[in-house]
Amino acid sequence: MEQLTSILTGIGYAFSIMAAAPLVTGIVKATKAGLQNRRGPGILQAYYDLFKLLRKDSVVSPTTSWIFTLAPYIYFAGAFGAAALLVSGNLFMLIYFLAAGRFFLALASLDAGSAFGGMGGSREMFINVLVEPVLLLVMLTVAVRAGSTDLAAMMGAAAANPLSLPYIFAAIAFLIILVAESGRIPVDNPDTHLELTMIHEGMVLEYSGRWLGLIFWASAIKQLVFILLFTTLFVPWQPAELSPAVAGLWGAGKILVTALVLAAIETSTNKMRLFKVPGFMGAAGMLALLALVAQ
Amino acid sequence: MTTELLLYLSLLLFITGVLSAFASSNNKIANYVAHGMAALGCLAAVLCAIFIFAGGTVDLAVSWPKPLGLITIRLDYLAAFFLSVIGVAGCAVSIYAIGYSREYYGDGRRYQAMVALYNAFLLSLVLVVTVSHVAAFIVVWELMAVTSFFLVNYKHEHAGAGRAAFVYIVMTHIGTAFIITAFLLLAHKAGSLDFGSLARAAGNLEGWTKNAVFLCALIGFGAKAGIIPLHIWLPRAHPAAPSHVSALMSGVMIKTAIYGLCRFYLDFLGVGPAWWGVLVIALAVISSVLGVLYALMEHDLKRLLAYSSVENVGIILLGMGAGLIFAAKGQGMLAALAWGAALYHVLNHAIFKSLLFMGAGAVLYSTHTKDIEHLGGLIKRMPYSALWFLAGAAAISALPPFNGFISEWLTFQALFYLPQALDGASGKVFGVLLVGLLGLTGALAAACFVKAFGVTFLAKPRSIHAEQAKEADITMLVPMAMLTGLCVILGLWPEPVFNLLKQILAGAAGVDAYQAFAQTAWHAVIVQSGLVTANIEMPAVAALVLLSGGVAVTLYRLYGKPQVTQGETWTCGIVPTARMEYTATGFSKPVRLAFRAILRPQRETLVDSNPNRYFGRRLSYHISITDIFSQFYRPINTGIINAAQFMKAIQTGSVQLYIGYITAITVLALFLSTRW
Repeated sequence: MEQLTSILTGIGYAFSIMAAAPLVTGIVKATKAGLQNRRGPGILQAYYDLFKLLRKDSVVSPTTSWIFTLAPYIYFAGAFGAAALLVSGNLFMLIYFLAAGRFFLALASLDAGSAFGGMGGSREMFINVLVEPVLLLVMLTVAVRAGSTDLAAMMGAAAANPLSLPYIFAAIAFLIILVAESGRIPVDNPDTHLELTMIHEGMVLEYSGRWLGLIFWASAIKQLVFILLFTTLFVPWQPAELSPAVAGLWGAGKILVTALVLAAIETSTNKMRLFKVPGFMGAAGMLALLALVAQ
Repeated sequence: MTTELLLYLSLLLFITGVLSAFASSNNKIANYVAHGMAALGCLAAVLCAIFIFAGGTVDLAVSWPKPLGLITIRLDYLAAFFLSVIGVAGCAVSIYAIGYSREYYGDGRRYQAMVALYNAFLLSLVLVVTVSHVAAFIVVWELMAVTSFFLVNYKHEHAGAGRAAFVYIVMTHIGTAFIITAFLLLAHKAGSLDFGSLARAAGNLEGWTKNAVFLCALIGFGAKAGIIPLHIWLPRAHPAAPSHVSALMSGVMIKTAIYGLCRFYLDFLGVGPAWWGVLVIALAVISSVLGVLYALMEHDLKRLLAYSSVENVGIILLGMGAGLIFAAKGQGMLAALAWGAALYHVLNHAIFKSLLFMGAGAVLYSTHTKDIEHLGGLIKRMPYSALWFLAGAAAISALPPFNGFISEWLTFQALFYLPQALDGASGKVFGVLLVGLLGLTGALAAACFVKAFGVTFLAKPRSIHAEQAKEADITMLVPMAMLTGLCVILGLWPEPVFNLLKQILAGAAGVDAYQAFAQTAWHAVIVQSGLVTANIEMPAVAALVLLSGGVAVTLYRLYGKPQVTQGETWTCGIVPTARMEYTATGFSKPVRLAFRAILRPQRETLVDSNPNRYFGRRLSYHISITDIFSQFYRPINTGIINAAQFMKAIQTGSVQLYIGYITAITVLALFLSTRW
């Protein structure tokens, strides 16, 4: 019974993350436009884009196989499942749900037979090789304290001891991971798919219509999942004794601030060369190790 | 009673298989009868294992005429587990062999020899895990080495096959020497060659002897398992053998070495010092990270899979090493978790690596090339082979809900709790770094199998071979489908395996299996004690997968059924050809550059010097990776050659001088014998 409720809570959570994810993307985009003195799209533009894409027909290359058709569903399901696991799941499970989506999307990138897609897939898997160990290290700074890799226990442990030096190191390290995982500058550029920035957007170049809509939505969900991990595990600051409604608003406020920080990072840095990324991730890894030792 | 009859039946079927291979000179009959016998023999082995788990341990003593004497066979849970690993993978591979080995029909008697050796190989595998007598073990271990040597050497006229077989036989014998030493050190103390007395004797060993036994077993079995730096034979021998034999060697044979390690560390030696585990983990990390890096760089599909076996043995050893540390620190329950992770991965790897080798074999069968740069587009020409290979690739990349995920998850959990057993900050960092390294291995493995599957099966064919590929025979597809089914079942329903692990680990010293796997239910395994909790609920995961997929499909159909039109892949306005596809070399390039300190890539670009530099130039590009551990043996190599040079000075070829040597030695011997 208890299990059933936790599963149902997880699913409800996943649906609300799915609903809110494009809004966060919209906020980041609008803030970025503001910071760059542009008149950008409204914050709801991401929704309009998604629903427009979900209405459109698709053009598919005759070179592709069923892998190409299947991949968007798996990518979406991986992100949605990860969102459902946030409240009651296991850390490794969440990571491997996202890994499954990435695996199939990278396969699909090779399927159309163009060099652009393959380049995107290759780089995505490369970035993942750098990100995954650091992600695990930084997550373990919380998990070691919790004595468990269950996300609920980790969130409890984080909330119990919110302000300490190791946490600041870990938070910076996770912010770097967050930037890389959501495909943002300086690691990737979410707005273009030119050769230089050809990572995630290069990988999905051959998609159009509804499948592209699914992929965009899944990417937005994945980004919000990482923002939520960041706000609940690494900046778990919260005044004591808040009523549930106020606590919810507080949480939303933290997400908003994180989104603003992402926009600020993206405006104030340059896209770095692909082979500078290992050093960037290495810095995050060092910070994560420092956080572990300092505990 | 039934248990031992099934074992005898299994052995009898294999022997019949060996004999029936020669009964008729018709290759076709030999193929069907002998491989049929092999499949049935494996089935009998699985049934035997089931009876052991259901009915308990069985001890057999078989009396042979002198000089063999009494040979004991002990069918305990550990043996039963490995028996089922051999049986399941062996059964599928034997059915596959019926279709695959047709390619060799023209070989006449050599073909029959191969079929006979295949049965003898299976016979030796089954015996290795069941005999419980040192002398008998060494004999069947050698039988395994020799039969597999001949199978590797089957295509000896091909460049490299003979060399591969030679390296294999040398390495395996170096290993055997260490295994014999380990056994004899124990047997000397026990005064008996029976496994049961060895376990009792280990308790009275002095520290250094115990450590020596530990190290000799690690080196000896490690050479067979292919841990780095003893792996050099593995990426040569596995691709050289016929594909069904490679499947068996990579999926099953290297597991007999894991069996040997389990026998020594769980059964004989008991709890040891913590540095044993640290040493095993250090080797495991080197094997897993380097193994997968080399796998990612490979273009030869079978070599890629062979290197990936090195990686997976590393993952198995990570669990074993953690288990040794936990046992040394008195954390029995966590030790059970770690050993359970290792054993679960043994089973999983046997299943998906056999599956992947069979897939590679199917590709080789219909395209006659193993080089993935010459393949592509096979998913449309070989749809079923592609599907089964993809399932194997997903399982080995530990994607949920496949079986690889469960064992990877268990290993992650075991390593996560490792800092609890270690002292001090450095111990904590060590433990946590291992989790990061396992994550790195997982990410590299995913990249490796995206490349392997993507370049081989997707996009357009890159050569005429790939264009003309035909789907593999039904006898090859059915066993692959069987193993795919097992990958899914063992991923979604791990509980039966957990129950077996509980039985196997129950008797081991320093391992508290009952508590660790106490609360298994049909839906979950829960490891719980104080702070330590870990649970995994695969049905919930399956439901979640279905629900998430449902949401995706609903979104897709939100506005009704869409129209999907075809349009050629956009390639900047020119007609796309297979030459524009991303190559395997290109795919792995970022990793190759990032890890160039380890991989040391060397590239060579040759430009054809045409009088006109703007037209008609031909570029040839060659890249090679050197395995850094191939240098490791160079000093030994030169040492042996120098010693031989020195011996040449004594060996003059003059008979008189030799008689002189003999006389001198005889006089010396006489002198010594009178003095003492």
